Amino acid sequence: MGGDSIEEIPWKIEPIIRLNDVSIGYKKEEPLVQIPNLEIFPGEIVAIAGPSGVGKSTLLKTIAGLIRPISGSVEVCGKSFPNRPNRGELGYIPQSLGLVRHASVLHNVMLGANAGHNNPIPFIGICLPSFVAKKKSIEAINSMGLEEKISEPIRRLSGGQQRRVATARTLAQCPELILADEFLSELDEKTVDMVLKEVTTYVKSNNSALLVVEHDIKRAKMMADRLLVIDDGRVNPFITEPTAMEVKI
Amino acid sequence: MIIFDFPRKLLGSFFAPLRSWLGICVLIFLFSILIFDGMINDWGRASQGLGNLVIFFTESLWPPDWSVLEPQAYPVCTVYPTFMDFTCSTAWIGMVETLKIAFVSTVFGAIISIPLSLLASRNLGFRKKISEFFDLLLLPVDSLLSDFLSEVLSYLPRLFLAAFRSLPSIIWAIFFVILVGFGPLAGVLAMTVYTVGYLGKLQYEAIEGMTKTPLDACEAMGLTKFEVAFKVVIPECANDLISQAIFMFEYNFRHGTVIGIVGAGGIGYYINLYLKFLQYDKVIAYLIIIFIVVLIIDFISIKARSYFTDEIGLNRPSWKSIFIPFSMNKR
Repeated sequence: MGGDSIEEIPWKIEPIIRLNDVSIGYKKEEPLVQIPNLEIFPGEIVAIAGPSGVGKSTLLKTIAGLIRPISGSVEVCGKSFPNRPNRGELGYIPQSLGLVRHASVLHNVMLGANAGHNNPIPFIGICLPSFVAKKKSIEAINSMGLEEKISEPIRRLSGGQQRRVATARTLAQCPELILADEFLSELDEKTVDMVLKEVTTYVKSNNSALLVVEHDIKRAKMMADRLLVIDDGRVNPFITEPTAMEVKI
Repeated sequence: MIIFDFPRKLLGSFFAPLRSWLGICVLIFLFSILIFDGMINDWGRASQGLGNLVIFFTESLWPPDWSVLEPQAYPVCTVYPTFMDFTCSTAWIGMVETLKIAFVSTVFGAIISIPLSLLASRNLGFRKKISEFFDLLLLPVDSLLSDFLSEVLSYLPRLFLAAFRSLPSIIWAIFFVILVGFGPLAGVLAMTVYTVGYLGKLQYEAIEGMTKTPLDACEAMGLTKFEVAFKVVIPECANDLISQAIFMFEYNFRHGTVIGIVGAGGIGYYINLYLKFLQYDKVIAYLIIIFIVVLIIDFISIKARSYFTDEIGLNRPSWKSIFIPFSMNKR
């Protein structure tokens, strides 16, 4: 089930993520990570690993357009920062998930589905109810094994169930690029396999890309086509290890 | 060297307790006592207060005169069955009118204040939009300048909210009585304006206190500000928003009794009437009724908020929970 390695992808295909001489961090004087060059292509699953506090999540936030890069160019889905990818093209699962705690599972997943399948009325910015979005949401919830929790508020779910809701939200969105920050933590092995199977199948069949932050280097090698290790240090800390490991499903 | 260090060490050990929070609180308390003492010329008057209270309570206030719950000559009571005739009493009529004013003004105020508070909250505000706008215009604007401009823009709704609550509700009531005349309309307008200012501030503080990650996730997904506001922010802050709206209803109800004094309708009109005739026993009857209604509103608030929390015990609020703290209530 391993993905296509980078060499097999025709050169004409435009990368989904393209970083050039990017320096990221919260302070200009103290950049956390400096990336000379990084391209991620459709159909690729790329994992970022490294010790905690090194800037893995900050890199993901920068690619998501939530943090301004200190320098360099960040191009995501053909749009370079500060332009943003089109609505629904980018799915993001933050480390703390970013779910609406008082709302139901369906409400949360519908947020993603609406972003991907529904266009807002111009100037007003509101979406009309869409059967497609609702159907996609229910499908995504079922694929995560949460059909019985569909109307349950998020605050009543366990940590692992909440992670699955966040994943379902992104799958219902059908994005071109998924950015996931440790989305498999708190899950048991069986559920990890189930979630991973769903996500990898989605990425491979839709020619999307998945950039995932994973502190467990063993798991990162297992799931990814490429592993990027951010080493401790501020100048050129990127070490690329092509792995193309087989994903256990 | 040791000689020079000695006084510093002595002072350090002397002021060491003041470095703690408790020390600072004690210092502030002592300071307030000092200011209070400066304002009072004759402490002897305070000692007479208790005696005066006993006389006032036993001779004028107590027992309450419950005749306020009986029908009056005017308006003519036409209620059937006869045991419902208390609905013709001044207490009932005034109370219902005050509740109506409080309810309508809270609803109107909340409807106006929610969009204003969403605009005023800096975590959803224009900060990013403005910096993106300048980047699109290819203007070499420093991020500090765009931060400053976004601050200024997010202050406009705050300015409105501050202006609305800068005057107390009774002054707004006088203002609207001058504009539209005596009666409940002036009361509703006055309470609505005050509600917008007060509730808006509480709401934007609640919104600014919410966790940032749902906003980040939605922003990355490309949801519009409108969707984020109504599908993420309001459900996420629902507990606070409901509690604040009910608190505001309770506040409007209590202040509805005050604005009646200036002719803006409600129970305050009757309280003012009996105060003028020095009929304090009737006034205390009104105050007891107000107290009971405030307790009922508090109960409704606990019940409403229980739908948004899973804390044990709060799902089944009881009358006891209004009077007794949760920890004691459990035993």
